[in-house]
Amino acid sequence: MTREKKLKVTIDSRELEVRPNTTILQAARESDVYIPSLCTLEHLPSYGACRLCIVEVDGLRGYPTSCTTPIEEGMVIRTDTTELRSLRQEILKLLLSEHPASCLFCEEHDECKEFQGTIRKVGVTTGCRYCPNDARCELQEITEKVGLTETSYPVYYRGFSVEKYDPFYDRDYNLCILCGRCVRVCNSVRLNGTLSFKQRGKLTTIGPAFDRTHLEAGCEFCGACVSVCPTGALSAKVSKWYGKPDTQVTTTCVYCPVGCRLELQVKNNEVIDVLPNYDSPIDRGLICVKGRFAIPEYVLSPERLGTPSRLTPVGYEVISWDQAIDEAAKRLRGTKPEDKLVMVSPQLSNEDLFVAQQFTREVLGSDAVISSMMIDLGDDLVPFLELVTSSSTFDTIEDARGVLAVGFDSTYGYSPVGIRIKKAGREGALLVTLGACDSNLDMLSETAFQMEPPQWAEFLGSLVDYLARGGKGKVKIRKEWTSDIERISRIFSDSSTNILVIGQEAIFSSGRREIFEKARTLRDKLGWKIIVAHPYTNLLGMLAMGAFPGAKPGEFLKNGDAVTVDLPVIDLAKRKKVVYLIGEGRFDTIPDCDYLIYQNGLPPVASRQPDLILPASLFTESSGTTTNGEGRVLKIEKATEPFMDAKPDWWIFNRIAEKLNKGKLKYKDVAAVQAAIKKQVKGFYGGRKPVEFARINAERATKWLRGAPKQEGQSSGAGNNPSYRGIPLARVVAGMKAIDEWVNTSLLSDKEAQ
Amino acid sequence: MMLNEIVSTAVKKFGVGREQLLPVLQYVVSQEKWLSEDALLGVARAFDMSAAEVYGVASFYSFLDTKPRGDYVIRVCRTVSCDMAGKEAIMEALEKTLHISVGETTADRKFTLLETNCMGWCAEGPAMLVNDYVYTGLTPEKVVDILQGYMAGA
Repeated sequence: MTREKKLKVTIDSRELEVRPNTTILQAARESDVYIPSLCTLEHLPSYGACRLCIVEVDGLRGYPTSCTTPIEEGMVIRTDTTELRSLRQEILKLLLSEHPASCLFCEEHDECKEFQGTIRKVGVTTGCRYCPNDARCELQEITEKVGLTETSYPVYYRGFSVEKYDPFYDRDYNLCILCGRCVRVCNSVRLNGTLSFKQRGKLTTIGPAFDRTHLEAGCEFCGACVSVCPTGALSAKVSKWYGKPDTQVTTTCVYCPVGCRLELQVKNNEVIDVLPNYDSPIDRGLICVKGRFAIPEYVLSPERLGTPSRLTPVGYEVISWDQAIDEAAKRLRGTKPEDKLVMVSPQLSNEDLFVAQQFTREVLGSDAVISSMMIDLGDDLVPFLELVTSSSTFDTIEDARGVLAVGFDSTYGYSPVGIRIKKAGREGALLVTLGACDSNLDMLSETAFQMEPPQWAEFLGSLVDYLARGGKGKVKIRKEWTSDIERISRIFSDSSTNILVIGQEAIFSSGRREIFEKARTLRDKLGWKIIVAHPYTNLLGMLAMGAFPGAKPGEFLKNGDAVTVDLPVIDLAKRKKVVYLIGEGRFDTIPDCDYLIYQNGLPPVASRQPDLILPASLFTESSGTTTNGEGRVLKIEKATEPFMDAKPDWWIFNRIAEKLNKGKLKYKDVAAVQAAIKKQVKGFYGGRKPVEFARINAERATKWLRGAPKQEGQSSGAGNNPSYRGIPLARVVAGMKAIDEWVNTSLLSDKEAQ
Repeated sequence: MMLNEIVSTAVKKFGVGREQLLPVLQYVVSQEKWLSEDALLGVARAFDMSAAEVYGVASFYSFLDTKPRGDYVIRVCRTVSCDMAGKEAIMEALEKTLHISVGETTADRKFTLLETNCMGWCAEGPAMLVNDYVYTGLTPEKVVDILQGYMAGA
C-alpha cells in the first residue's frame, strides 16, 4: 500500500492534515468537526439533497455543500459562522414546512415525555404520539443541534395515506423529508432497484414503479431503507413505538451459513429490533430479511416453550426441571445403544453440538447422532459434504471474472453472496444463471438460461466437457445449446477466476449427484472456485465437533490425509425405544418410537406428540460460537435472559448425564465447554482464518440410509422453506408467511402462464 | 407497430446510454401517446435499469404521460395571464363539446383534456395545445370550430 500524501487545510482556523480524495464533510468529521447533515451517510454516495452541510470556503462562490465538494490542498473552510447558522436554520425551517413538527416545537416539549401533558385545557395525559420513531429520530437531533426552537412557516400536511399493506415495515410519507437515503441504499448498496423517487414537487413520494406493492416489485425486505431513514417515515412493524433500545448486542445470525453480524437491539430484556453492521467483513452489512426482521417475532413468539412438560393421557402436565431430568434419565437408562437415536439440528452452536455428541457417545453409548440434514441429502450426502468442506470464501466473488449460478436466488436469503455476484456482474464479470424461473440476478446477467431442474446437470455436463477440452475435439451437446455453450465457454476460459455457485434449488433437485460431480471436475480440473449455498447453518461446526456418526471431534479437520466417511447404516424404518430430538422440528424424518423427547424453543407441527418436552433457549439467549459456510468460527452473544424456564442445550445434556452418572460432562458454563473443545479439536478457535477441513474421499459413497421417507421430487426438505431449529420461519413470523404465500402464488401464476 | 418494435426502434435510434432515456421515452410517447407499464418495463430492460428508476423519470415529466391518452391531447394553459384572458370559458366550451372534464379521455379514445403551465403565449391568451400545435387568442366559438375540424379530419 502506498502512503497517501496528507493535505494541509484550515477548518475553523485550525490547521489540519487530512486524507486526500475525500469530501470536506468527511475530512471535517474525521477531524472531529461537526457539520450537520441529514442526507449523507457512510457507505452511500454523496447526494447534496438536504443542504444543511453548507460551509464557507475561501475562493469558492456562495455556500457549497460540504458533502459534495472534494477537499483540496490549502483550503480555508469555515463551518460555523453567524451567516451559516442562520442559513441552516432557514433551510431546516423550509424542510420542516412539510413535516409534522409538534414533537420539535411545542411549549410542553421539555416536560412532554415525563408528564405526558397535552396542550388541551383538560387534565388528560396523552401527549402527541403520531410518529413511531420518537427519540430515535435524526431530525430531532439535528433540529436541536442547528438550534431551531420555532418555525415561522405554517406546516403543510401532505395527507398521504399510510402504507401498511406490505410485510415487515410501514411507510408514512407524510413524515418523509426526501433525503433519498432509502433510494440510494436500495440502488447502490443493495443493487436491488425497488425504490425510486416518483412524481414531482409536492406530490413527490418514494416507492416502486407503477404504484405496485413492495412485494410485487421484487423488494427483498432487507430493511436497509428502514435503518437509514432519518425520520419516522419508514418503521419496522414489530419494533416501532418502542423508543430507544437499552443496549445493543453484537452477535452472529444462525438462520443460514453466511454468518452475518447482527446488532441486536435490546429493551426490557427483549430483542426488539435487529440492525446490520456495515463494517462486518463477511457480510458487509448486507443482511437479508431473515436476520433483519425474522428474529424478534421468533424468539418472542407466544408459542415459546417455557416449562418442561410431560404427556399424560389427559394432555400435557407442567413439571419441574428436576422431574423432567428424572423422567428423561429413567427412559434413557438401560436401553440398548441401537434402540436410541439422537437427532440434532445443524443450527445449534458449536458448543451445544460438541456436548450433544459427547452425551450421545459417552452417556448413551451410541454413535447414532444424526440430523435431518443427512436425511435430506440421503445417499448423496458424502459428495455434498465433500463440496461443502472445500467451499471458497465469499470474498473470492469480488475478484471473480466469471460467475455461474445454478438454481440460486438471493432475494430472501444469502444476500451477501447474491449482492457480491451482482456487483461482480456490474463491474464486468461474466454472469450466467441457470434456473427454472426468473432469478433476482437475471437483470445483471449476461445470459439467463431457463430450463427444468432435471436438465441442469446435463447442461452443466456439456459445459464442463466443452471447457475441459478447450474447444478441441467433439463434444456431444444438445443442438439448441451448442452456440450458447460455445460462446460462454470462450469467456469462461479467458477469465482468471471463475466461480460456480450452487443454490438450494440445485441441492434439492433430482440431478444433484451429477451436479456435485460436475462441480468437482470444475474445481479439480479447471481451477474453479465453488460456493455451495445450502441452508444448514452450522453444518461445518457439526462436522468439526463430531456431531456426526462415525466421526469423533476434530476428525474432519485438516491434518494431512484425506478422510473416508464410513457411515454406519441407519434404518429409519426400524422402530426405536427412545428418540431424542434436539432443535429438530422435522417430524417427517423420524422413525417410530416408544418414547419421544423433544428439546426445542417452539412446539413441533406434527400429529405425533412428544412424550417429554424440554424447553431450550435460543441463540439470542445463550452464548457460544457458530461456524459459517466459509469455516469461520463466529461468536454468538447472549442478549437476553432465556424465555421463562428455558435452558441452554448443553445445560440440559449436562443434567441428564449427571443423573445417569455417566460420562465426563461436568460443565459449569460455556467457557468450560470451549476449554474441552480446545483440548480435543486443535486450533478450532484459532482466530480470524477459516478452519480448514480435510479432503473427503467422495468416490466411496456408500448407501447408508434405509427406510427414509419419500421425498417428493425437487425442492423438498428445507430448500425453499427457511427455518430455524426445524420450525419454518413462516409459521411464527407473520411477514415471512406473507412472503411465502406471495412466492407460492407467483410461482403458480408463472406455471399457468407457461 | 407493436409496442416492443417501437421500443427497439427507439433504442436503435438513440442508444442505451443513460442520457438517452428521455429521447427514448419521448419517442415512445410520440408513437403511443402514453407510456404503459409494458412500455416502461421494455425500456428498463433495454437500458439495464430498474423499472422504478424509469418510472420515476417518466412520472416526473408532465409530457411523459403514464396514463392512457387519446389521439389528440388538448392542454389548456392555466397560468394567470391566460386565466385572466378567459380560460374558464374556453375550458367550459371544451368540456361541453367533448362531454368530459379535465383529466379525462373521451370514450372513443380520440381526445384527452388536460391543463398545462405557461407556454409563453401570454400576449395572445388564452392559449391551448393540441398535441404539438399551439392555438392562441381563443374564444369559445373558435374552440368548437377547432374541435370540429379534428373530429371531421380523423
